[in-house]
Amino acid sequence: MIEIALLAFAVLVILLTLGVPLPYCFGAGLMVMTLVGEATMRGMMLWGFSQLTNPVLLAIPLFVFAGTIMSVSGIAGSLLNFVNVFVGRVRGGLGVVASISCAIIGAISGSGLTGVAAIGPLLIPEMEAKGYPRAYATALIANSSILGLLIPPSVTMIVYGWVTDTSILACFLATLGPGLLIMFNFSIVNLVVSRKFPLILDQKLPFDKLMREAGKRTFNALPALLMPVIILGGIYGGIMTPTEAAAVAVIYALPVGFMIYRGLTWKTLLESGKESATAVGSILIMILFSLMLSQIYVLEGIPQALVDSIFAITENKVVLLILINLFLFGIGMVVNDITAIILTAPLLLPLMSALGVSPIQFAAIMGVNTAMGGVTPPYASILYLGARIGKVKFTEVVKPAMMLILFGYIPVVVLVSVWPDLSEFLPGLFGY
Amino acid sequence: MERLFRYVLTALISLVALFQFVQVLTRYIFELPVMGLEEMAVIPTIWLYILGSVNASREDTQIRANVLEIFLKTDRSRAVLLAISDLISIIVSVWMTLWAWKYFSYALRVWKETPTLYIPTFTYESALFIGLVLMTLFTAWHFWRNIAFLLGWRKTPDHPVDDDYPETPEVQEFQVLSDAHEESKR
Amino acid sequence: ATLKLSHVRPQDTAIDVDATRFADQVSAATDGEIKVKIFPASALGDYTVVQERVGLGAIDMAVQPPASGADKRFQLVYMPYLVKNWDDAERVFAKGSPMRDVVSELYAKQNIRVLGAWPVYFGGIALNQEVPNAADPTADKGAKLRVPPIKTFQLTADNIGFIGSPLPFSEAFTAVQTGVVDGVMGSGAEGYYASFRDVTKYYLPLNTHFEMWYLLINEEIYSELDEEQQAALNAAAEQFESARWETARGDQARNEKLLEEAGATILPVSDEQINKTAEIVRKQVWPEVINDIGAGWATDVLDRVMK
Ligand code: NA
Ligand code: NA
Repeated sequence: MIEIALLAFAVLVILLTLGVPLPYCFGAGLMVMTLVGEATMRGMMLWGFSQLTNPVLLAIPLFVFAGTIMSVSGIAGSLLNFVNVFVGRVRGGLGVVASISCAIIGAISGSGLTGVAAIGPLLIPEMEAKGYPRAYATALIANSSILGLLIPPSVTMIVYGWVTDTSILACFLATLGPGLLIMFNFSIVNLVVSRKFPLILDQKLPFDKLMREAGKRTFNALPALLMPVIILGGIYGGIMTPTEAAAVAVIYALPVGFMIYRGLTWKTLLESGKESATAVGSILIMILFSLMLSQIYVLEGIPQALVDSIFAITENKVVLLILINLFLFGIGMVVNDITAIILTAPLLLPLMSALGVSPIQFAAIMGVNTAMGGVTPPYASILYLGARIGKVKFTEVVKPAMMLILFGYIPVVVLVSVWPDLSEFLPGLFGY
Repeated sequence: MERLFRYVLTALISLVALFQFVQVLTRYIFELPVMGLEEMAVIPTIWLYILGSVNASREDTQIRANVLEIFLKTDRSRAVLLAISDLISIIVSVWMTLWAWKYFSYALRVWKETPTLYIPTFTYESALFIGLVLMTLFTAWHFWRNIAFLLGWRKTPDHPVDDDYPETPEVQEFQVLSDAHEESKR
Repeated sequence: ATLKLSHVRPQDTAIDVDATRFADQVSAATDGEIKVKIFPASALGDYTVVQERVGLGAIDMAVQPPASGADKRFQLVYMPYLVKNWDDAERVFAKGSPMRDVVSELYAKQNIRVLGAWPVYFGGIALNQEVPNAADPTADKGAKLRVPPIKTFQLTADNIGFIGSPLPFSEAFTAVQTGVVDGVMGSGAEGYYASFRDVTKYYLPLNTHFEMWYLLINEEIYSELDEEQQAALNAAAEQFESARWETARGDQARNEKLLEEAGATILPVSDEQINKTAEIVRKQVWPEVINDIGAGWATDVLDRVMK
């Protein structure tokens, strides 16, 4: 049966390359398993569909919806002003502002697209005006936008926790450390790189003026800054489940968007609702059929057989971790974050536990690798959106983006694999 | 159609958020959990997922890795590729729809009920078959548009591609994110 | 043939060990013609879905609690305080009892045959903080309990001085751990030790309900076996069940001990408190449930079962 399972996987990959939508790629895999192999589809729809009723999944559309509402509502301006007052006047500080602001947006939104969408339109022109090359500014913000997937809440971690049966709260915390480290790296890389840019600096303010300004801007940014407090405080403080927190975030974002920052209109609300629903629909239909395929794999004992045949080649943990990272990098090049997790997590998890890697550390390994996929061509959604928003041709953004990945991102990918505490320490504090 | 989906999907996602919000309120503020609230919430939730997916098929933004498409340079070659992928999609979709039909008729026959309010689960179990039928139809419609373009009956391709600003389904889906600031500038 | 058997607990738990022994016996008695492959930890779905899949023949066998989705009369098996102690339980639920006949009939309507049963435990309440007068059903404790989204549990919690919060199992751990709820109802010492030991600070063995799992096989798959194979299955099932009746009490005590070792305090519960709780539940909760599942059928069955 393992031969047929591999055939099914091969068919899946071929169709995927041809551009067949993922749910149908998985469907074709199912066809191979049942028409060529001896697996049965009986009761499979029933089983797969019942998985969708899990309320944990609801957090996905709601975090995406809340993030989108906040993003179109115009919170970005107040956030930028807020961060800017603290680091904006340093040489290269505006780049640091970009990174930190994306991290804050990341603590509101569960998606990797929101940061660049919210911050980009305001900050890219400003950075250009202050002497940063436009392509570089775009690449920096697009790369920082990935933090939306690493800083909780995170759609990819919900999916990972769900398919691997790991606590979602623990997964959220697993990528937080790496996420903050990446933010820090981007800031450092930016400070180094921007030394050769002809930067125009804002004048330093006297201390009392600075304090007054800081107070004013903090007040303006408060409604936005409260959102992560409500979401994460609500979850980790024991007031709400992640799903409920996501719903509260939506309900909270509405008056903030309509009345405080005023960017939200009926038109953008309807558009945000439709697009969030469509995004989640396309994610969940894909998950539905992928689950059926992995259930058939489980019934046929494929994951264990796979582990056995890999261990027949090598049991060396270092070699396997390197191979898995390369594999995930390759997967991330051609599919988006959630697809990558759906495709690989159920197959790799048994291998990882056989290697003694905890599901929480693996959450971080999967998290940083698949999130990076958003900016690695040829399939680079976040970078594409960045190019569109920054109005820079894609070919121009690629070079600075690759530089940031190489010096800012890759080191953390390596660290996550070799240093379990980076991902396990924070969850450990909360008893996971 | 666009308007319909806009209103229906926004209504569904808001309703779903509202259900969860009420859940929090009743549990923590009034300390009176409403029995069976989550059973009611399942219905709009499942329809949200399924109709969201139907809309993705309508807009042709189902998740896909359009890797090859980016390397093809002419509209014509892209339309050929899309037509092939649409045709494969239709075949698989019909096959899955058949299995969903078996599930649909099973759910109708067994007529399960939820554990506290005894709501028939058919209210949401029926969604999968209906959704897959609609997805198949919309995929067929895109297939037709690609064929029509290849035969010269349509002037514009179903999927114009911009090499300077390439797109993925996610980027297309979140048009509002890149459009919102355009809007505010005007 | 290889029969796939699903159960709801992780590997190496009591049920897993017993199911494995069952599988070995079947294989030995049929000279390896029938193999039973075990899928632990709900790998094939939660018990409600698995029950449907067994009915459809997509999964061959399962050992698990009955699910009431397709037939709400199954709720009768869960009736809180149907029995109050192990002696009652053995009388009411044993093989050949009227209760077993009723359960078998209900399963037969789902195209499922009951081969045997596996008594699990008496249910209790796990708490993550001290709750004064926890065992007193008349005291209003103001503590929120996660209950399984099944009406009987919600009503029971509400009527014995707690606030029932229906949450699916998938969200239960997070809810207790973060303090969204103050405790959990719907399982017993073994279940709490398996899934909630890190968050259980107090355990209240209130005997809320008697948990019984049934060893099920799809009817067609059973009838396709030849007579000898069927006999082998039945013999192994018989042993599976009788051995468990021998060990169940001790297993419950052992799991309470494990909870204690994991840092939980076992709260004392007197027979009097259990009787009082039972009285309230039978008066307040039963009529509602009986009404839901069909008063005529339910009272008739209860009369027969409780004799
Ligand atoms: Na996030
Ligand atoms: Na990529």
